[in-house]
Amino acid sequence: MMSPDMVSTNMAASLNRLRLIATREFLSYLRTPGFWLSLMIGPIAASFGAMAPAMMHQAAPAPVLTVVDLSDTGAAPAIAAALGGRKPLAILVRPPAAAAQATSAAEAGGALRPYLSGDPPAGGPRLDAAAILSGSPEAIVVDFWSRDINDSDLQMVVRGAAAQSMQQARLRAAGLAPQLVAQLSTAAPAVHSYSPRAARGQVSMKDRLPSLLGLGLAFVLFFAIFTGAGILLNSVIEEKSSRILEVLLSSATVPELLGGKILGVAGVSAFIIAGWGAMGLLALQRAAPEMVAEVGSALMTHGLVVWFAFFFVLGYLMYASVFAAIGAFCETVREAQTLLGPIMILISLPVMFLTLALEHPDAPLIVVLSLVPPFTPFLMTARLAAGPPLWQTLGALVLMAATTTAVVWLCARAFRAGALSTGKLDLKRLALGLLGRAG
Amino acid sequence: MSALELDGVGKRYGDFHAVRDLSFKVEPGSIFGFLGPNGAGKTSTLRMVLGLIPPTTGRISVLGSSRPGVSLDRIGFLPEERGLYRLMTPLDAVVFFAGLKGVSASVARKRGRAMLEAQGLGEAIGRPMKALSKGMAQKVQLICALAHEPELVILDEPFSGLDPVNQQGLEGLIRDLARRGATVIFSTHVMAHAERLCERIVLMAQGRKVFDGTMAEARAAAPTRLVLEGALDPSSLATLPGLASVDRQDGVVDGASLYTLTLTPGGSAQAVLKAALQRDLDISQFRLETPTLHDAFIVLTKAHGHDEP
Repeated sequence: MMSPDMVSTNMAASLNRLRLIATREFLSYLRTPGFWLSLMIGPIAASFGAMAPAMMHQAAPAPVLTVVDLSDTGAAPAIAAALGGRKPLAILVRPPAAAAQATSAAEAGGALRPYLSGDPPAGGPRLDAAAILSGSPEAIVVDFWSRDINDSDLQMVVRGAAAQSMQQARLRAAGLAPQLVAQLSTAAPAVHSYSPRAARGQVSMKDRLPSLLGLGLAFVLFFAIFTGAGILLNSVIEEKSSRILEVLLSSATVPELLGGKILGVAGVSAFIIAGWGAMGLLALQRAAPEMVAEVGSALMTHGLVVWFAFFFVLGYLMYASVFAAIGAFCETVREAQTLLGPIMILISLPVMFLTLALEHPDAPLIVVLSLVPPFTPFLMTARLAAGPPLWQTLGALVLMAATTTAVVWLCARAFRAGALSTGKLDLKRLALGLLGRAG
Repeated sequence: MSALELDGVGKRYGDFHAVRDLSFKVEPGSIFGFLGPNGAGKTSTLRMVLGLIPPTTGRISVLGSSRPGVSLDRIGFLPEERGLYRLMTPLDAVVFFAGLKGVSASVARKRGRAMLEAQGLGEAIGRPMKALSKGMAQKVQLICALAHEPELVILDEPFSGLDPVNQQGLEGLIRDLARRGATVIFSTHVMAHAERLCERIVLMAQGRKVFDGTMAEARAAAPTRLVLEGALDPSSLATLPGLASVDRQDGVVDGASLYTLTLTPGGSAQAVLKAALQRDLDISQFRLETPTLHDAFIVLTKAHGHDEP
């Protein structure tokens, strides 16, 4: 039996080893260019994402469209109106004479073809698309020609405008006064969005913010696991291949070593995320200072940030342990890749359900999946802002804690077995390691 | 109290017995050789001593404690296959590994600097490990294993990969450690180092202990040889008393042949020579070859299926 003083001394020594391993792990990455690149890539990607629509608009100017109305369907003005506006969807030009004088849609199409492929004939416009209207005002036929076969947006706008023109023509033919038809076509309801989950009943951006932040935090967790796992895996493989692991294990226990490494890499991820958060906050303060307080209050909605902290720690610990254990069995990254595929798919699966969790947080499938541990940290984080029943949040947390404990325990056994093993990784050795019978 | 004591220790991996019923003691302050051919079970035994793997059977007591891992701070370990963090400097590596053994950063830094300089690594103190030669890196790792001034030093094949000059330097370092009171256990399959350094050895073969004793006792296990040169007839040599075998060596010098006579255990070289001279055999030269540890190693391990170390 050890005396209380000895227990206390051992505990202090153990914590010191944990700290040393974590610090070494953290500092070793802080000194690499990859760390600083990771720190900068987030804001750069976010800025690029924010500017992308404007850049794309500049890079891809509005397409040039011509409308050929062969049988006076009367839809051309409706199409022109639909395409116009502050940011025109297309630049409308007069059709070439040969197309305008055509007697059939096929003839018009043949006349337009040279203007839609390659350089246009001398003096004619270079067209990106053409709409040939035939039939009658009540039954319009549209032959839509386009330079780009994948561009369906413009075709949808032309179709919508032609449909509206047809509906108006049919209403006029049914005897309605043109003035009444015009009034009918502009009629639209005033929609107000309400939800018992909204603070004042009516849904505003402020009400949607917690859910959006929840989704964002789920992606933060995904990023942290994805990058942290890669760092951890490479770190363990380096130590395994250079036989440092054996020396470390003769100086520290497996929990100290595994815990220190996970803590160090978590520190790297946390540093990057905190850096991004700080830069985001600065940007928000400059762009929309009134939003800062709203984001702060949104993070506290239903204890979002507190619950997230629990799920983040448990999720990170679970996945990081798995990656560390795999790394301990591998001497090269190539060896590890054989096992990484299934794990990566497992991590990516919850991400596929995140949008569904945002839109339908109480859907039975999402509720069930959020209670299944590999999915829990991501889906519960995305659901938290919707205020799920407490039993679901607590139940998910308990299940997650139990699973993480079991996974960490198994991975610690595998880590020790893998660290001392030699030769190539195979499933039998991994299974024996998990059972604690490999060494 | 022994620095290390193993009692009936065994290690099994599935159906494979890496170590069987191993018992021995190492006295404090001694240099102890743990010898055996490759695959004899040396590394498995050392890993059990360090608590890296649990024994399947038996009991291990390290520095008075039989609880695995309790004495780790008092042990220095150099593994057979070596490596350090490539981007770390030698001094940082010493501070880190000594820190894991409970030495404060300031003490470890001071001690590490002195040890590195003493080993001729003063100029390399601030260079990353990847810029160091293999020999220099091995010295750094050894210093990492010793900077916390351990009571028990375990060196697994410490001489492998070192050039003769560095091997000699390491032998000196091991002697210094023992002089300062540390117990040194090292494994090797190169007998010359053990012969020069050890007071006691344990010899392993196929997971079993085949010898445990002093160097003199080990040498006694190998037969003494008498080398005779002259115009000799092997059939007349074979009739001499106390011989286990007569082997003719290659080459003839000035019409004289060279024969190695292996004596039976306990056989007297003097009695053989006396009998040869009494029979008037034409002997121009003779030489007594006392057995080396290498000879003892071969004799002791041959019985367990190994031919050469």
